[in-house]
Formats: sequence, structure tokens, C-alpha cells
Amino acid sequence: MIWKMVWGAFGGQKRKNALIALTVGLGVSLAAALLGVMFDVGDKVNQELKSYGANLNIVPRGASMLTEMYLLNDEPPEGEDLNSKAAENFIPENELFKIKMIFWAYNIVDFAPYLTVPVSLGPKKVLLTGTWFNKLLSLPTGDEVNVGVTALKSWWKLDGPPGDDAAENEVLVGQRLAQDLNLKKGELIKVTAGPNTVSLKVRAIFDGGGPEDDRIYAPLALAQSLANRPGLVESVEVSALTTPENELARRAALNPGSLSRLEWDTWYCTAYISSIAYQLEEVLPAVRVKAIRRVAESEGAILGKIQLLMILLTILTLLCSALAISNLVTAGIMERGVEIGLLKALGASNFSVTALFLLELFLVALIGGAIGYALGFGLAQIIGLSVFGTTIDVKTAVIPITGLMILAIALMGSLPALRILLSLKPTEVLHGR
Amino acid sequence: MNKNKAFAFRLAIFSLIRRRSRLLAALLGVALGAVVLFGLISLCRDLPRQFRDEFRAYGANLVFAGLGSARLDLNDLKKAKGLLPPNKLLGLTPLRYESVRNRLRPYVAVGVDFAQSQKTSPFWRVTGRWPNEPFEMLVGADIALNSDLKEGSFATIDGRNPNQERYAKDFRIVGTLATGGVEDGFLFMALADLEKMTGISGVADLAEASLTLGADELKTLAANVKATVPSVEARLVTRITDSETNALTKLTSLVYLVAVVILALTMICVATTMMTVVLERRKEIGLKKALGAENNRVAREFLVEGAIVGFVGGFLGSLGGVVFAQIVAYNVFGRVMTPRLYLIPLTMLVMVIVAVVASRSPVKKASGIEPALVLKGE
Amino acid sequence: MNHILEIDNVSKIYGQVVALRDLSLTVPQGQWLAIMGPSGSGKTTLMNIVGCLDSPTVGQVILDGLNLGVLSHAGLTAIRRESIGLIFQEFHLIPYLTALENVMVAQYYHSLVDENEALEALARVGLRERARHLPKQLSGGEQQRVCVARALINHPKIILADEPTGNLDETNELLVMDILRQLRDQGSTIIVVTHAQEVAAHADRVIVLEHGRLVQDRVGAKERVDNLETASLMAG
Repeated sequence: MIWKMVWGAFGGQKRKNALIALTVGLGVSLAAALLGVMFDVGDKVNQELKSYGANLNIVPRGASMLTEMYLLNDEPPEGEDLNSKAAENFIPENELFKIKMIFWAYNIVDFAPYLTVPVSLGPKKVLLTGTWFNKLLSLPTGDEVNVGVTALKSWWKLDGPPGDDAAENEVLVGQRLAQDLNLKKGELIKVTAGPNTVSLKVRAIFDGGGPEDDRIYAPLALAQSLANRPGLVESVEVSALTTPENELARRAALNPGSLSRLEWDTWYCTAYISSIAYQLEEVLPAVRVKAIRRVAESEGAILGKIQLLMILLTILTLLCSALAISNLVTAGIMERGVEIGLLKALGASNFSVTALFLLELFLVALIGGAIGYALGFGLAQIIGLSVFGTTIDVKTAVIPITGLMILAIALMGSLPALRILLSLKPTEVLHGR
Repeated sequence: MNKNKAFAFRLAIFSLIRRRSRLLAALLGVALGAVVLFGLISLCRDLPRQFRDEFRAYGANLVFAGLGSARLDLNDLKKAKGLLPPNKLLGLTPLRYESVRNRLRPYVAVGVDFAQSQKTSPFWRVTGRWPNEPFEMLVGADIALNSDLKEGSFATIDGRNPNQERYAKDFRIVGTLATGGVEDGFLFMALADLEKMTGISGVADLAEASLTLGADELKTLAANVKATVPSVEARLVTRITDSETNALTKLTSLVYLVAVVILALTMICVATTMMTVVLERRKEIGLKKALGAENNRVAREFLVEGAIVGFVGGFLGSLGGVVFAQIVAYNVFGRVMTPRLYLIPLTMLVMVIVAVVASRSPVKKASGIEPALVLKGE
Repeated sequence: MNHILEIDNVSKIYGQVVALRDLSLTVPQGQWLAIMGPSGSGKTTLMNIVGCLDSPTVGQVILDGLNLGVLSHAGLTAIRRESIGLIFQEFHLIPYLTALENVMVAQYYHSLVDENEALEALARVGLRERARHLPKQLSGGEQQRVCVARALINHPKIILADEPTGNLDETNELLVMDILRQLRDQGSTIIVVTHAQEVAAHADRVIVLEHGRLVQDRVGAKERVDNLETASLMAG
């Protein structure tokens, strides 16, 4: 019977119901779109912010305090022999694939190993850094990924082709160094490191706008042979998508041991920079993983702000549609005062009248919500495509959240109307007052 | 006719104030719309500036160096600093690198202006405290980890200046600096202390500046510095500036797009609210027609009411919008923003238009219906 | 005799339903006419046509010398304003206006508002003291009397009342009838649609409709209308 009544009312108030559905639909579509974007905006903006470079630095645990500055010093420091660094001060190159095998492997966007050797270029001492430019890495899982500085240092401006890992005698020269020594693209240079001298071709000049402009970047194998360190690297820079840090992450970063079992699981399974660092330390032997605060901190702050902004906007949107729905529903109830009065006069309890009314409302809201969700999905894609140039990954979590939102909006919106409904006295209504 | 005008006014006012709850609904709808409109426009206008400040967390975006391999003269730096717009300059610190030793182990000591470097490099994390007395220093986290140079201890720093004169000085280590970058392997001291210790002053290797400017403005500025002070080379930190331009464009266009969509929705919501408020009064329209009112006259009355609702709601909403924009700016960006009061009349105008346009179609429709039908409750 | 209303062979058809069938009727100025008949007999349709709220499908209506058929929409509105006072069963007062203001609304659309005149009209229906009350603060009878005051404020030639006492108790019914009689005595023509014998009994003339046709037309007050017991029961 209740269904018949609901169905009847449905047809009877077509216009109003259409308006309610429209409003619910609009509210939900916007909220779904905003939520979709919000959940994905972290990753998207994060991707954008990746252009700031790596946010994790992997160094060997026993790394010597000797800084690169000293490698340029004419006078080798007393008591330190550049070539006497023990093997534990390096990371084996063939272990690096493990970086892509951690729990958050999917979040590792890129990484590049480095091995720096001081070399003589004519009369000048310069640093030559061996690295991967765009290395194809085969993982034991069967996946293949490309990693290296070409993508990691996207801000480099090259006047020639990007570095090639296979072209072992071709190097990239920093813009300041090139200016200093008047080097040109395509020129041949002779580089000496200890007993080894090699002839190299300048593949391209790059402008990185930082200290790297004074260096030479070469394929890793070249640096390894010049330094006589086959199969070893000094440090690795990793660029990872991370979740902004919170209280838990900060505590964990200080000492993971201080967490309770549950906290530890939460922390480990969230892409905090500290948990990714921890997982990297787990898979690579004898390394220390440091968060590059310049990138990590700023990234977290900006992401947090964008998400907060989106949440505020979503709430505002929902509030607006709740108000509009409230108006529509209240108007609907007022119009149907006589009908409701009659139902009450016929002995319907407040509960059953309310149930009838809410059932109808939820049906309308459901229809509106379904349409709205579809619209919102499209809207999210439009936003994604026009802003980030990629589609938005609408997380499945959005569906139940949107469903809850529909219920909440409809309920919130109908509260004032329900009050009117409950306070209706059948005699008054039927007498047309 | 004056009496009639007064009565028309009385009708409109009483229709507004005596139907309190429904008026409240309409006003609330319009006001909320105005809050959104006003708030979003102000936010969008302010967004690039707000985000730009945010992006300064990435550190310096303009560096000064000497020409070629020459060191940077601090007097030249002062001249160059004079060319930077002071209200856009967050901080400027010279950096001077010196090779020093402690107990025969080699280190790099960096002389900086601590007060300024806290501004140019907000990502520096210092445990302990920042040096504020003469001959205090910070040690990089890696050094602290691998040597006995730790917070709270004293260290004798010695070395030889370019004139081959030996020097030595005791420093108190007051804190540990962690950045995750090369800084973790340096010792940081005040530039003045470094100058006193080495006996050489007036030079630096680099100077870092953080300016709240976009890449194009920075380029002009750098060119200007090069032209005015030829011995100083000003370079953009392209890694920072390029990424910022890129990210800023994306972020602002994201918020703009979202704002446009929200505005559209809000206006539709305001419109539906106004529509229901009018639809509820179909009987009244029918009655007025039965009493002999022309369609246009009834329509005009309702539109004037809509306009009043739009006007008042728009005004109240604008005030709410000022607060809303402040709350968002404060909570999201942690700073206040000057309210753009000129947006108030604009918002009110838009709300009046929305309210009137939204009332128009239901009024037209209702006044087109034969009064007999409306009055019979059909 | 001066006829205020002449209805010639009027029919009104809504789709398949014939509401009025070839009806002819003349009403002289100053007459109190009661229209009776069971539900669906066409009473209200006739009322709406006379009140310029509806127009006939076939036939011609002459109201106060004007042929309604040739008038535009605006013309009909003007007649409604100038010559007709309407009283509804459901009162139809504007809820947010006081009794006085509700009366003044009619003045406002007619010509000029005049508060004193409106107060006088309320005094005539015995509501002088209740002038500043909102409809919801008035009883049903009082609300209907406000409607009467509103109907008479512009001195209409015809007052049309559709079941004016349908929602009233006996006391209020008599009060309203009294006011209508006074108006008739001052020369207004009054047409009342009702299915109540007691109401019809006040009239000078009673017509009875059935299935859209005029079946009885009796002039003479206080005369019982035959064959209507059942009809009025059905209509109740």
C-alpha cells in the first residue's frame, strides 16, 4: 500500500519531485566530482610537484663525511685517501631494482643512482657524476620500468639530445663549466682520473640553474671505470608520491619502535615519506634513507592546503544543495498539508506519515543521486583533462561516500519540513486554515 | 497615485516580513549563494598570491654569484639587493664556503646570515636552537651522526686562509641541521664569525634570495641586476621557478574550474529556492487576478519582491562572504587577506538578477493560469 | 426591465464533459439569485463564466450591457475589477496581510487605496475591531466577513458568492446572509451558488441546474424548492 501511495504522490508532484531530483543531482554531481578530484588531486598535484625533483636520498650507512667540495680541493686532506673508501661505503648497483619492489613500489615515480669522481679536464679539476639517464630496468616480477635523471631532473634545459646510457663515451656538460672552458656541443674532451685517461664527446650542454651546472654528467659505467668502482654507486635519489605527514608519521620518523602494533601497521601501509624511507632501508643493505626536506616538506604543505581547500568547497556545495532541497521539500509538504492532515485523520501515526514521506523523498534523491553521480564522474574527468591533461582516477571509495552524502543531504534538507509535518493538526489542515 | 505606491510598498514589505520562515528560506538561499559567489571570487583573485607564498617553502628562487670563478663581493651584493623590490623579498643570505678541519678531519664550513636563511630556506630543521651568540654553530645531521661534533659540545675549527695564514677558533655547537640534502654534511656559522676566524671579509661564494615573484618577473630582475652591477651574476633557480610556474598554473586553473562549477550549482540552487517560494504562492496570484489585477501587475509585484530578496540577501551574503574568504584564507593559507569591498555591489547585483530571473518563469506561468483553476486548488 | 445579466444559449464543454448545455438566463438589476443543484450540475462553471474567470464554448453572455465574448483577456480582467465582487467558499485571504490590508488589496487593483473607506467596509461586516488582525487570528466566520467586505469595497454591480457559507456555522451564516440582504437592498445584484436550502431560502429567485441544464426557475422568496431533498443530500 505504501508503495502505491508513494507512487501516486510521485506522479502527483512531478514538477516538485523533478526539481528535488535536479537539486540532489546537481549537489551530488558536484560533490562527487570534487571528492573524486580531491582524492586524486593529491596524486595529480604530487605528480606536478615531482618536477621539483627527488624527495628521498639514499646513502650508504657508513658514508664518509668527506664531502664533494673536498674532491675539488687541490690538497687531499691529511689522513683521508680518496681511493681508500671501503666497499661498505657504496651501494651495489645490481641491488637497485629492489627500490621498485617495496610495498609502495607503485608510488616510486623515478630514481637515479650517482657516483661522483673528481677528474682533471686540462688544467681544471671538475666533478664527473655517473648516473642513469633513462635506464630500462627489468624487475623480477616481469615488469619493466624506465628510470633516470632525464625524467627526474625535468627542469634541465638541454641544447642537444638527452643523455644515453648506452653511449658510454658521451657526456652532458653543465652550462657554467662549458662557459668557463668554452666547450661546445659535439666537442671532444680528454678527461683524466688517476691513472685513467679517456676521450669523451660533449653530447649536449645543460642548464640546471644549480650547482650541477659546474659538473659533467656521464653514463654510470664510465664513472665506475674512471673511479675503479665497478658495479657500485654512491647515492641514489628517489622521487616518490607521498601522503602529507601527520602526527603519526612524525612520531614514526623519529622512532618507528615507539608505535603500537596498530599504529605501526597504519603507518607502514600509508605512503608517508618516513614509511617509504623505512621500507627502502629494509630492502637495501646498509643504507640510510633521508627525506630531502626542501621537497618533502613543501610538497606536504601544498598538498595539504589543496585538499583542505577542496574539502571546504565540497562542504559548501553540500550545504547549498541541502538548503535548496530543504526549501523544495518544505514547499512540497506545505502544498500537501491537506493530504497529510487527511492521512492523520484516518489514523496514520506520525511515524507512518514520516516514513511515507521519507521513502518518497529518498526515492527521488536516489534517482537524482544516481544521475548526479554519473554527471559528477564526467565533471571530474573534464576537470582532470583540462587541468592536468589526464583522466581522474575516481576511487571506488567515492561511491559509498556519495551514497551517504545523498542520504545526509536529503535528511538534512527535510528536517525543517519534518517538523512542520509532525506538528500538523488534521483538523486545522482540513478546515483550510 | 502616491497612496497606491505606498500601499504597493507596504504589500511587498509585509509579504516579506510576515512570511518569516519562507522569507528566511529565500533569504538564506540567496545569502548563501552570495557568500559562495563573493567568497570564491575573492579567493580566486587572491589565490596566485597565496600559493606563490606557499611555494616559497621550496627555498630560494634567485641566486647571485661572482662572474666566472671570481668570488662575490658583498658590496656588490648590497647594490644588487637594492634593486630587488623590498616588499617581495622574503629573505637574502650570502653563503661562503670554506674548507676547514676539526681534529685533522676535513669539513666544509658555510658562513650564512642565520636570520635570513631561516626565511630563504624554511625547510631547514634545526634540533637544539639557532645560533644567536658569537662563535656558535650548527652541524649538519650527517656530521652529527658520524662524528663527535654534537649539539652541546665545543669544537676547535682550524684551517688556512688563501694567504697561507693558519687560524683556529673554538665554536660552541648549539644545534643540528637536517635537510636531507648536501647541507647535512656542512658546518654552519654566522658569516661574521667566519670572517673573524679567517681574517678575510667582504666576500661570499653565493647569495640566495627568495622573492614572491613569478619566473618572468624574476628574469627581468636578473637582467636588471646584471646590467646595473656587472660583477654580479644573477641566476634563476630554474628548478624552483619552472616548477612553480607549472604547478601554480595547474593549481589555479583547478580552483578556478571548481569555482565556476560551484557557482553554477549555487545559482541553480538559489533559482530553485526562489522558484518554490513563488510556486507556493500560486493561489495568491490566482486571487489577485480574480480581484482584477492584470498579469503584468502581479508579475511586477513578485519581481520587485524577488529583487528585494536578492538585494538584502546579496548584501548579507557579501558580508558573510568576507568572513568566509577570511576563514578559508586563514585556515588554508594561514594568513589574512584584504577584503575586496568592491565585490559587494557586484555580488548584490548578481544576486538581484538571479533572484528576479528565477522568479520570472514561475510568476509568468502562474499568472498565465486561469484564476478559477488555481483557486479551486487544482 | 433593466437586465444586468443576459445569458443566451450558453454551452461549456470540457473535453468529453458537457458542463453547461444550452443554458439561457436573464437576471434583472437588484435581484438576489440562488443557483442550486447537485455536484457536477454546472453551478460553479456558470459562476466562473459570469465572474469572467472562464468563457463559454458556445453562446453569448452580456454583463451590464457588455458582450463578454468579444472582450480581450485584459477587457475581462477590467470587468472583473470594475463590476464584480467575488466571495469564495475557501475565503482566499492573503495570509500575510491583515483584514484591513486584504480589503485594501481590492482597492489597490481597482483604483486607489483609501484606508478609511476600507475600515468602513469592515465596520459594515462588524469587524471594525478586528481590522488589524491577520487571517489566522480570525475565526472562519470572521474571515468570510472580511471576504464580503473585500467584495463590496469597490461597489460592484454584481456580487458572486460560491458556497459562501460552506465552511461556516449557523450564526455566521446568518450574519453573512444579513450583509448580503443589505447589499441587495442598496441595489446590488447578488448571485449565490449553494446546495443548502436554508441559504437559498434568503434569495428572491432560485434556479436549479441538473446535468448542465436549467430544470427549475422559481421567483418568490421563502418558497420551497421541490425535488431537491435528495439532490442536496447527494451534494453534501
